[in-house]
Amino acid sequence: MPRPIVEFQKVCKTYPTGLLRRRAIHALRDVSFCVPRGCVFGLLGPNRAGKTTLVKALLSICRPTSGTILRLGRALSDRGTLAGVGYLHESPAFPRYLTARSLLDYYGSLALLSGRELAERIPRLLDEVGLADRAGEPVAAYSKGMLQRLALAQALVNDPELLVLDEPTEGMDLSARKLLHRVIIRRKKEGKTAIVVSHSMADVGRLCDEAAVLRGGQVVFRGSLAELIGQSPADVDADALQDALEPIYAGAEKGTVPICAKHPPGRSGKWGLSPFPPPGART
Amino acid sequence: MNARTALSVLFRLVKDTFRQSMAAGICWLLMGVSTICILGCLSVSVSGPRSLTPPGENATFLPRFDKEAQDPHKLQVSGVAVADGTLSLAFGAVRVAVARDIPSAVHFLQLILAAGVADTLGLLLTLIWTAGFLPGFLAPQAVSVLLAKPVPRWALLAGKYLGVLAFVAAQAAYFVGGTWLALGLRTGVWDPTYLLSIPLLLLQFAVFFSFSLLLAVCSRSTVVCVSGSIAFWAVCWAINFGRHAVMAVDPRSGYPAVAGCGKFSPLAVRLADIGYWIMPKPVDLGCLSFDALGAQTNFRPILEHSGGLSLGLSVLTSMLFTIYLLIAAERQFAKMDY
Repeated sequence: MPRPIVEFQKVCKTYPTGLLRRRAIHALRDVSFCVPRGCVFGLLGPNRAGKTTLVKALLSICRPTSGTILRLGRALSDRGTLAGVGYLHESPAFPRYLTARSLLDYYGSLALLSGRELAERIPRLLDEVGLADRAGEPVAAYSKGMLQRLALAQALVNDPELLVLDEPTEGMDLSARKLLHRVIIRRKKEGKTAIVVSHSMADVGRLCDEAAVLRGGQVVFRGSLAELIGQSPADVDADALQDALEPIYAGAEKGTVPICAKHPPGRSGKWGLSPFPPPGART
Repeated sequence: MNARTALSVLFRLVKDTFRQSMAAGICWLLMGVSTICILGCLSVSVSGPRSLTPPGENATFLPRFDKEAQDPHKLQVSGVAVADGTLSLAFGAVRVAVARDIPSAVHFLQLILAAGVADTLGLLLTLIWTAGFLPGFLAPQAVSVLLAKPVPRWALLAGKYLGVLAFVAAQAAYFVGGTWLALGLRTGVWDPTYLLSIPLLLLQFAVFFSFSLLLAVCSRSTVVCVSGSIAFWAVCWAINFGRHAVMAVDPRSGYPAVAGCGKFSPLAVRLADIGYWIMPKPVDLGCLSFDALGAQTNFRPILEHSGGLSLGLSVLTSMLFTIYLLIAAERQFAKMDY
């Protein structure tokens, strides 16, 4: 069995807060799970569940307070592994003075790609995301949807082994959404991995094979989508996912669902079959 | 990351800074100010004796306003020349009588441009206008994507810092080179020592921009960077000047104008000395420029080189403080969460 592409082991992240920074916000608490290679993995949860913090910790944008994260089988301190990672930020702020072409050239060179590789990839990527005819325009003139397409191209510029997408369909129109789905599915066929953070159950249902649900900084579910809804894989759709997740999300607000709910209910109201794996467990 | 890759990354960040400066209009703004000065220099003409100083000798001449210079007989007997020249600006619209020969008059003008325009006004304006570069670069939404690249954090910061320095170096080269060329074309005086002000201006800017870098990393606020770096420059200037003032009024200083005219407690002297040696020294760096450009032929020394003023040590300690600020900024950036 191939080694997971990402492993989280008892990851905690605490942000000091308050005037004297003595109080603490626990963004992540003992998060442990693995992301297998070659799958599309959903990271779900209500707002303030810790999804983005977990992604940022994975990408070395923030540092975990404790615990271990293995990225592409190596420790986070090995920044070289980031050459095999692409990241789409939920609301990217690109330099407005760059054109799409120069922006991809800039970010690609920071991904340590050679000039020859960039010259070969950039036109193909711009064509793929539908920006080839606007490649010479400054980013300042782009609509939000175009920026999202460009952000996707930026994330793909190094043809990454692992693609991390934080709210990728935010602001995307239907065609851009289709494009994103097509790209992720194509990459999956090539054996590449994607982690998708999303509130859109339609996207999750369409794209993801497996998922982890976070709430209050803890993992409350880890398994396949079929296990999440408690039904067969053929029944996975946006409604089923919505039904399965609603009680978990509601529990986050009301505090009525135990933090380590092992059997989230499915659409039919029955409890699912997938227990939350113990910390450190590997798939 | 090997050295070649690191250099390539730094080059990309430097290039990006130039693009940012052009898009923000700062590049054109500074070039506009420089172009006005260059055009001003193209309107200059100087008349007067070609040279009053034989090679290897000191000048012996009388200004034309001197009483002795009015007596032709005395002048003939003594053999002393009379400096009788005119410096005209704006194609003759403004005429200034100069008691100097042509090279000396041009040198005087170059000193005004290097020390007055570039070293003070130019430095402050550049500090203000470039202060927004780093906070924009370090905004969480912008820097997150960069931090997810396989480039060390120090390289990102160093690349941007060097980018701003390269931009300022280019602007300084345009200003100094352009005015040098314009004055040379108009007057025939090609004094290369004026070009030394390019690295000296850059040194001064590097010292104060390092503080702006630290502020940008800590606060990510343009307002804090602008006000903080100007305040820092003012504080450093006050400490530097204050310490020299304290030393100058000391009866043992031997400074003729003010020695013994005041008295400071030993504690004040000690504090002034400590502050002086720790902080960067804009006044001393200005003195360094003056020395390098040979200003002593046109101006009396600002400060007697007594009371412990050593320009070499002064520059060294200023650079040490800059290195400390850069390391502090790098450490802070390395541990920050975005």
